[in-house]
Amino acid sequence: MVDDERPVLELRGVTKHFPGVLANDHIDFDLRRGEVHALLGENGAGKSTLMNILYGLYHPDEGEIRIKGEPVRINSPKDAIARGIGMVHQHFMLIPVMTVAENIVLASEPTHAGVLLDYRAANRRVEHLAGTFNFAIDPQARVENIGVGQQQRVEILKALYRSADILILDEPTAVLTPQEAGELFEILGTLTREGLSVIFISHKLNEVLEIADRITVLRRGKKIGTVPHEGATEGGLARMMVGREVLLRVEKAAAAPGQPFLEVEDVHVLDDRGLEAVKGVTFDVRAGEIVGLAGVDGNGQSEVVEAVTGLRRTSAGRVRLGGHDVTGSSANRILDLGLGHIPEDRQRRGLVLNFSLAENLALHDFDKEPNSRFGWLFPRRIIHRARGLLKQFDVRGGGPQTLASALSGGNQQKVVLAREIARDPRVLIAAQPTRGLDVGAIEFVHQRLIEARDSGEAVLLVSLELEEILSLSDRILVIYEGRIVAEYPPDVTEEELGIAMTGGRGREAA
Amino acid sequence: MIARAERLNGRAVWTTLSSPRSIGILGIGLAIVGFWLALPPATLRTPPGPVALGILGAAAGIWAFARGERRIGGGAVVAGIVGVGLALALMQTQASNLEGTFVWSALIAATLRWATPLTFAALGGMFSERSGVVNIGLEGMMLMGAFFGAWGADKTGSWLGGVAIGLAGGAALAFIYAIFAIHLRADQIVGGTAVNFLALGITGYLYNDIYGNNGTPQNLPAVPDVHLGWLHSIPPHGLGNFLVNSFGSLNLMIWLSLALLPMSYFALFKTAIGLRVRSVGEHPRAADTVGISVYGTRYAAVTLSGALAALGGVFLSLGYVNAFTENMTAGRGFIALAALIFGGWRPFGAFAACLLFGFSSALAQRLPDLSASESAAWPVLFQALPYVLTLIAVAGIIGRSIPPAADGQPYQKQ
Repeated sequence: MVDDERPVLELRGVTKHFPGVLANDHIDFDLRRGEVHALLGENGAGKSTLMNILYGLYHPDEGEIRIKGEPVRINSPKDAIARGIGMVHQHFMLIPVMTVAENIVLASEPTHAGVLLDYRAANRRVEHLAGTFNFAIDPQARVENIGVGQQQRVEILKALYRSADILILDEPTAVLTPQEAGELFEILGTLTREGLSVIFISHKLNEVLEIADRITVLRRGKKIGTVPHEGATEGGLARMMVGREVLLRVEKAAAAPGQPFLEVEDVHVLDDRGLEAVKGVTFDVRAGEIVGLAGVDGNGQSEVVEAVTGLRRTSAGRVRLGGHDVTGSSANRILDLGLGHIPEDRQRRGLVLNFSLAENLALHDFDKEPNSRFGWLFPRRIIHRARGLLKQFDVRGGGPQTLASALSGGNQQKVVLAREIARDPRVLIAAQPTRGLDVGAIEFVHQRLIEARDSGEAVLLVSLELEEILSLSDRILVIYEGRIVAEYPPDVTEEELGIAMTGGRGREAA
Repeated sequence: MIARAERLNGRAVWTTLSSPRSIGILGIGLAIVGFWLALPPATLRTPPGPVALGILGAAAGIWAFARGERRIGGGAVVAGIVGVGLALALMQTQASNLEGTFVWSALIAATLRWATPLTFAALGGMFSERSGVVNIGLEGMMLMGAFFGAWGADKTGSWLGGVAIGLAGGAALAFIYAIFAIHLRADQIVGGTAVNFLALGITGYLYNDIYGNNGTPQNLPAVPDVHLGWLHSIPPHGLGNFLVNSFGSLNLMIWLSLALLPMSYFALFKTAIGLRVRSVGEHPRAADTVGISVYGTRYAAVTLSGALAALGGVFLSLGYVNAFTENMTAGRGFIALAALIFGGWRPFGAFAACLLFGFSSALAQRLPDLSASESAAWPVLFQALPYVLTLIAVAGIIGRSIPPAADGQPYQKQ
């Protein structure tokens, strides 16, 4: 579907400085009519900056933007919309309490006599638009009541409603299940056949190869190159992204499971709204194995983790850690009994962003020797220990006294990892340990988890990324609507897992 | 989500009616009826009826409580106990005293009078908070309206001039607050509090400087009352009499506040502009990315909020007391804020809350007549009634209402 006419969009020598950082360094980029052009790069490579320039959120220091051959200045999203550019942000720009139609027509509403909002026309137009592109969506549903995949369609419809012919998708699959991602790719196919052009921002190699006609790779603000889909390989793209060879598949020896360190027995947990989020879950994790807990976000996995780590009360059931009953115990006692926890939200629960790295690394054990004695802290010892850990875990971008908030996501995660693994826990719970990380950092985290397993720890891996579950786990549990619905050996296919995750019939207990 | 859809589809009317929630609400209703029986016109003088209803209400509350509806169930239990207590207390007083106090038509008129300044301010607060700016400065904006309304009426010699100048005074103060809250991204609680003190200072200084010890002139042009004598001729005679005593001579501004209710509702929920205001209050970045000016919208909403709150103040000085005194709003701005939250940031919800406050204030004024006690402390205690009611209602029955998602958060452009 690639036309060889003049590009609909050209960027020439676009440069953007932030204090201390050159976010975009003379970047050239062009987009042809009807193509999907992927923008690939690690976090911090400058992809989002470039797209925010294009969408009028930032202003370039140098360079030129041409749309259909004509040089333009884009000062605000309003300008971008007027030029036919639509953007689907990674964090959806949707208002949860409003309906699908309200979200779509916002700021260009159909009205009666210019004043009263014409809801009927709004619903009709949204329905019509959705019909044109074969979307199934209820314009009167509230956004908070529809699934993430549907919400993304609303975002796309928002752009189409404003007659966008250039669509920017920022990490669109980060929140989707494999099935939903497949549906998104079908939608993108329809859109490009209709003549739209798509810029697809991602750091996932496999999906870029699946969907893109051409791929442009950025690294540290510079354009490394543009390659056509034909002939591109995961290995080659990874090398362009990271600048060195990357191990894409985790290499590990066979597991040698020992005694069960973590036993969860018929546990029920209520969520924040008082509804039962976990409805009787039973499993164990043995020494020297990684158990993967797969599931679509919001099916109770967060509550399972919170219950096991003592952050949320169980309403029924038992949790045993290394033979001790820890049901209802405080998080502190559970940690002292040998639990390491890599929380799913490192910025809210993993780190105190306004504390230094040394303080963050001492968060659990600040009250024990050698960090303190009789309640008196020894900052120098804490810093000394931190220095060693930061080196050991290859944390870059700051020393022991740097604030945690100053680090990039990948390095923040390494700090959490360092704290939890250095405590030498018996059970390590890793919830979304690589969320938002790029290839290099993911490789590092995965290796550390395997090392933890090989040193005899029991690892519970909770992840929304099927690839991660499949490549790391020795056993895979699937959680759906608060119940474990299936258990698989690690050689199960992604399709089969995906079906079980969405409530389809899975193979029972392997 | 699927489970929820099934629940909705398969839900029969009966299961709704027999749900713990409905039973709990029924319990609250029974308790209120029990108490009401002790009041005129029924004026039951013997305990069995009210006590039986109160106990029944409390029992329904316990039943609901045991089935998980803790808040409403608990509310019914409290309502039952309080209702029986109050009913028994009323039976101790003389029937003639009761009938003198509970003159329903006079109570309705007084309720509306008390509720009106609150309604204006609550509507104002609604626009501000729906756009994402917490407006704790309503009190100060009302006070500006009260003073500049009186001053304007005095200077122009017309109540219309007073209304216009009072409104401008409140709007000006709101605009100053908006600069701090929006462009300078000051903490909105601190900024709003500062605005209240600023208004206290400005109005206090000007009042003393201009009017000194004499107070505002006796002949201030007042906002007129609307006389609806024809209500009297509505048959039957009792009803006509009741209507004319309740609604027959209300101030024009009371009717204006009632008219503003549906207008605000339509403006906020049925117009394109209302949708934009709400989008800015829920998710300013989303609004920004579709080309809505977040700052512009917030400035407009906050300024409008000051103008509306000022109308509440104007009513106090020109529609009710017909004079300005220092700090005459006496915390009404905060009560209006409570009514707004209590009413779920919705016009009619807030109005219902204003009526509740208005009613309890009106009642508090009359209740001291009930007891023969000479103590001067009694009336003061009764004045706490509105606040006690608020606590019971907010904590016990309504629970947490959900504010606009971005309420109180300054917006920073990228």
